[in-house]
Amino acid sequence: MTDQLTGSAPPRSPRGGAAAPDGREARPTRVRTRRFQPAWLFMAPSLLILGAFVVFPILRSLYYSFFDWTVGAATQPFVGFGNYVTLFHDGQFWNALRITLEFTVVSVVLLVVFGFIAALLLQRDTLANRIVRSVFFFPTIVSLVTIGLVWKFLLDPDIGLVGGITAALGLPSVAWLQSTALALPTIVFVSVWKSIGFAMILFVAGLKGVPAERYEAARLDGANTWQTIWGITLPSIRPTMLFTSMILTIQSFQVFDLVYVMTGGGPVFHTDTLVNLLYRDGFVNYQTGYASAISWVLFVIIMLISLLQLRLFRYDDVD
Amino acid sequence: MKHARTTLVVVSGAAALALVLTGCSASGSAAQDGPATLKVWTGFTGGDRPGYATIVKDFEKSHPDIKVDMTVQPWDTIQQKLPSAWLTGQGPDVAAVSSDPNAVAQYVKTRSVLPITDTGDGSGKINTASFAPGTVEEFTYDGKLYGVPANFATLSLYYNKKLFADAGITDPPKTVQEMAADAKNLTTGGKYGIALADNQTIQMWPVLQWLEGGDIVSGKGCSVVQTSAGQKSLSTWADLVAKDKVSPVGLTGAEADSLFSAGKAAMEINGPWAASGYKDAGIDLGLVKVPVGVDGKSSTLGSIAPLSISAKTKYPKQAQEFLAYWTSKTAQQKFSLQTGFPPLRTDLSDDAKLTADPTVSVFASQVPDARLYLPHVTNATKVDSDAYVPLIGEITRGKSVAEATKSAGQAIDGLTGCSK
Repeated sequence: MTDQLTGSAPPRSPRGGAAAPDGREARPTRVRTRRFQPAWLFMAPSLLILGAFVVFPILRSLYYSFFDWTVGAATQPFVGFGNYVTLFHDGQFWNALRITLEFTVVSVVLLVVFGFIAALLLQRDTLANRIVRSVFFFPTIVSLVTIGLVWKFLLDPDIGLVGGITAALGLPSVAWLQSTALALPTIVFVSVWKSIGFAMILFVAGLKGVPAERYEAARLDGANTWQTIWGITLPSIRPTMLFTSMILTIQSFQVFDLVYVMTGGGPVFHTDTLVNLLYRDGFVNYQTGYASAISWVLFVIIMLISLLQLRLFRYDDVD
Repeated sequence: MKHARTTLVVVSGAAALALVLTGCSASGSAAQDGPATLKVWTGFTGGDRPGYATIVKDFEKSHPDIKVDMTVQPWDTIQQKLPSAWLTGQGPDVAAVSSDPNAVAQYVKTRSVLPITDTGDGSGKINTASFAPGTVEEFTYDGKLYGVPANFATLSLYYNKKLFADAGITDPPKTVQEMAADAKNLTTGGKYGIALADNQTIQMWPVLQWLEGGDIVSGKGCSVVQTSAGQKSLSTWADLVAKDKVSPVGLTGAEADSLFSAGKAAMEINGPWAASGYKDAGIDLGLVKVPVGVDGKSSTLGSIAPLSISAKTKYPKQAQEFLAYWTSKTAQQKFSLQTGFPPLRTDLSDDAKLTADPTVSVFASQVPDARLYLPHVTNATKVDSDAYVPLIGEITRGKSVAEATKSAGQAIDGLTGCSK
């Protein structure tokens, strides 16, 4: 067993020879294939579960997307790319795509900018900073549904806390979630509020990885704070930037819980994101095929944008 | 050695597979011996919840050979879980499939529900002839009955007596015109005349439309919101909301209830489930019939939650027995008295105990005037979510009724496949 796990493969393993009764030499490729077997063995349970509950449903949804699929119906008519064509002409889809893009761009930019600023200000490990960082991080560990419900209540123009405070100050109450103009910005705000701690923690980790000598060298060369950030910090944390913005982009594209709880996609579709539309078509109207098509379009969009980000942050570049 | 390793791979793979599969089918084989246990799902999380628990308890007492295991969960959870649960044979034997009666159509289409055959007027039979008007038609598809009403609620007008007195109004409105005038007069000092919800709610706007002489969809499944009667029926209240601010814009049902419970709205059109919450909130509560419409006739919304049986149940006989008991005269009388809901049977309408109850009598007296929301309309859930809710959202935010109803009408016709 051990010989098979050591680094360099012997030219002809004794067991390989023994396994070939006809006297022919076992080919090296065969030896190599067998060397991986124990690993597969250990991975088998996870792979099986992943396969059954992740990979299979993903592929199945691709299959569904080519049918006018209704769960359990007597016939499932094949429509080829019909769902995708319908999608292309569906005003609700374009509206949802636009809203999802707006949500993603604004919230990712805000999160990266403010997450980075917060990390810069709080990166030193003092007691006060640790406390403030924890406070910032709290919302991240709370479920989105809980956050959505709490904010929805806080923002209620007539019986909410925010409305109460503005009324006490003599200001008019604002229908944050009922106004077509304010609903999406309000959801962006809550989403940023929730995730800013997450972005901050990632940036703090990134900042800690920047060697102190670089700052020292920069200071010796007479660089001011701004020049240090621009010339040393930002280039050094490029991988963190990439990771953070990519994770946040993917998360934002999939925004659902907050919308579902706070506005249900309303008022008049002004917060109807792609996943909310997908949910409505799939689980309220039971158009499984159509909803699957939406999910695959969303997948392709996320993949393209992630590739774009990889290019943008010059992932392959060697410094 | 090679052989042994291959075996090991196979065995471990099989073990993992077995693990996965048993996880899936742990509840697959129910015990056939002993009393039959009916699994029941409902979404009755409101003030009427104890009423259903009483039905179950009494049923178990009178039917010792049948146990009932009722699970109450929110409607949207049922909506997500039930379709696949029923298809895979894991679901409950009986379920209140939705708060929306039109949802039965979906389950008929997926052949998930059992046709109900054990009907008649004998004891232990489901007495469909006694059901409130419209209910049997609503659950009949291709001549087969696929559900019975779990309840039959009508909407009434709740009002806040204190706010009425403060505004110097002595009596609750009797006509829709009075209701409009009162709503205006009561909108003062940060208080609203009425709490009108237009999304995620029991339908309030259709009631206003009916009172104002309009409707949403004709008998042929064609939109009538864009007709002159349709537009007129919407514009009065759209103006009251958009211009006179008699109600906040874009309320959900829960928000409207909170507003009324907080004493910040003077009126709300709502069902019997809301009464206990309002009383608990300390509102000086008044309850009257929905005012009569412009034509002098009464109209209100009838709301039924359908109760259906799984096509895959092992206990079709017992399940029907359960439904027969649920809808029986004794069970319904007790249920009405406990919850304030009108009885779902017409033969209880002049029951002395029920007419003496101040809450039940108001809701029960409106049963004959009750109309269903989009009954048997094709794609009703989409007509609601994609056309009607946005329409109300637009006109209460100041969009012209003519314009909004025109596009809503087209959307509705597209969904219903209207053939003019």
